[in-house]
Amino acid sequence: MDPALPPGAPAASEAEPSASGPLAVGAVLLLTGFTLLWQAVSAAADNGVTLGGPTLAPLVVTGLWVVVAAWYLLEAVRKRVSAPDRLERGAWRTPVLLLVALIVYSVVLKYTVLGYVLATVAFVLVSARLLSTRPWREVIVRDLATAVGLSVGIYLLFTRLLGIVLPAGVLPL
Amino acid sequence: MDLLSGFGTVLTWENLLYAAIGVTIGTLVGVLPGIGPALTIALLLPVALQLDDPTGTLIMFAGIYAGAMYGGSTTSILLNTPGESASVATSIEGYQMARNGRARSALATAAIGSFVAGTISTILLAFVAAPMARVAVTFRASDYFALAVLAMVTVTAMVGASLVRGLMSLTFGLFLGLIGIDSLTGQARFTFGVPELLDGVDIVTIIVGLFAIGETLFIALRLRDLPAHVTPLEPPGKGFAWLSRSDWSRSWRPWLRGTALGFPFGALPSGGAEIPTFVSYTLEKRRSKHPEEWGNGAIEGVAGPEAANNASFSGVLVPLLTLGIPTSATAAVMLAAFGYFDLAPGPQLFEKSPDLVWGLIASLFIGNVMLLALNLPMIRIWVKVLRIPRPLLYTGILVFATLGVYAVSGSIVDVFIAFTIGVIAVFMRRFEFPIAPVILGVILGPMMEIQFRRALLLADNDLTIFVRRPLTLVLLLLAVAALGLPHLPKLIARIKGRESTERLAFSDED
Repeated sequence: MDPALPPGAPAASEAEPSASGPLAVGAVLLLTGFTLLWQAVSAAADNGVTLGGPTLAPLVVTGLWVVVAAWYLLEAVRKRVSAPDRLERGAWRTPVLLLVALIVYSVVLKYTVLGYVLATVAFVLVSARLLSTRPWREVIVRDLATAVGLSVGIYLLFTRLLGIVLPAGVLPL
Repeated sequence: MDLLSGFGTVLTWENLLYAAIGVTIGTLVGVLPGIGPALTIALLLPVALQLDDPTGTLIMFAGIYAGAMYGGSTTSILLNTPGESASVATSIEGYQMARNGRARSALATAAIGSFVAGTISTILLAFVAAPMARVAVTFRASDYFALAVLAMVTVTAMVGASLVRGLMSLTFGLFLGLIGIDSLTGQARFTFGVPELLDGVDIVTIIVGLFAIGETLFIALRLRDLPAHVTPLEPPGKGFAWLSRSDWSRSWRPWLRGTALGFPFGALPSGGAEIPTFVSYTLEKRRSKHPEEWGNGAIEGVAGPEAANNASFSGVLVPLLTLGIPTSATAAVMLAAFGYFDLAPGPQLFEKSPDLVWGLIASLFIGNVMLLALNLPMIRIWVKVLRIPRPLLYTGILVFATLGVYAVSGSIVDVFIAFTIGVIAVFMRRFEFPIAPVILGVILGPMMEIQFRRALLLADNDLTIFVRRPLTLVLLLLAVAALGLPHLPKLIARIKGRESTERLAFSDED
């Protein structure tokens, strides 16, 4: 989101909010809008448009999307959209790693025999570490206890009491 | 009377248990930052379906909604970080009271005010609902179309800081609502060749993405900004229920005025509880005999907004139950919950399932009593809840969110859709696009389209049906007028001859 500043950029701009953010958002929104509108137009061309038919609403919604996105982009160009504060360098690292952890966690749940409890224990430890600002030695006991308690608790609650199936995996549960 | 039979329904052990579970979970999620009633209800939907008890489930969900309103005040008073947006007004004076060693008085006036407001507004709901349902029977498809337009437009215009961003959120929601097979003709729309998308995107998936994944990833972006200091409770002082004689005499009028504001604002499509709480705050500040206390902990500034907050909840139930029109994100999820049980809120609900409707309304009275008992004497427990370490809290939210999507669909595609929506939600938060219009678009969009097509079918494709029927026309004109509503303060200021940058706008996500 925050492209590296060109060398020699004035240091004062560090504190200034980034103006390129809203422009990029507006451009992405408009491009997405045109792509979706194109889909709606092709569907309408194939099946025809009638007032009571299924192709009208997609045209209206994607048309509205393009109009509103263009409006937003215009506001951004005229610098009338408040830009978010600049983030510290590397701020996006934590959310990106957390998202990767989430994806791995759900893939492991679905496609491996590890099972719900072990996968969740691992995920809780990783996620709690990513979100924490304290050294791991101080919190590892607390994190580990939570990870085991939460995973086993959820597993037993859902499978024994609520009758919702979760993968048991390699543990003899 | 119908309400009495409603008490008959709710006063069974099973339903009382549902109500107790609901208000406890509601208070818990109200207290915890980062998790609100909309997300909680969405996550509990798959579990609730398993239980297969519509009345009990909806009693529980109503308890969650009401409990979140109570619990939110605790967080805003003790932590100065409102647990949900409807408590923002409370936090202004409430946190100052806590810092001055009057935390218990602030908590007490909030809780008792919520109880008074909740009880009075539920009585109003009981009186208004049945006549409203009888009127609603005469509504035609074109009226419902216009109502849906009105609800979407007003909420979009009222929440968030800018109309263009609100409209963009709404359009995104409308688009998500279009995905899947068209219910009337079976034609696939925007499925991009993915078979899992034929059934559409489930509302649970969307809410989990927007609130749970989006909020947690956004928090991860700004880890060092997290506040964690909980103001300690002082030892209980003199007076009844932690309120001195002067606290009582200064609180009861704001409670009643807050109730009078909250109920109608909740019933109108204005986005739930934010607006009445701020109007109440401004009103009390203007009327106050102690102007010097404002900013340093004026008790009226807690009493009024908290009452407005809770009264608005009963107000929201009026259009939800009688018309099937949600006016807040949480109400939209509750509407989805009705749908899961094949129940359609609206005038027919009062005829077809009177047990459910009146049981639900009666449960609100019981729930209010439970909440009063839960909040004041057990305040120490909620203070402990506030001290849950943030990394573990947000990790827990992610675990439950993944589990919720997985349990409702069993499909990894849905989980990935939730993650994608979550990433979009991070950028929405960062660039200040409001979240609530997305949910209203998802829920109201398909409803609007069906009513539009039904109206045209009945009128032989004659578009003038939308201007020939006076009620439809009035509702549509109101929707157009609503677009100008946020600019009202500016206009008034200009007429009075002075510039003002003030806008009527508030954040969403209640």
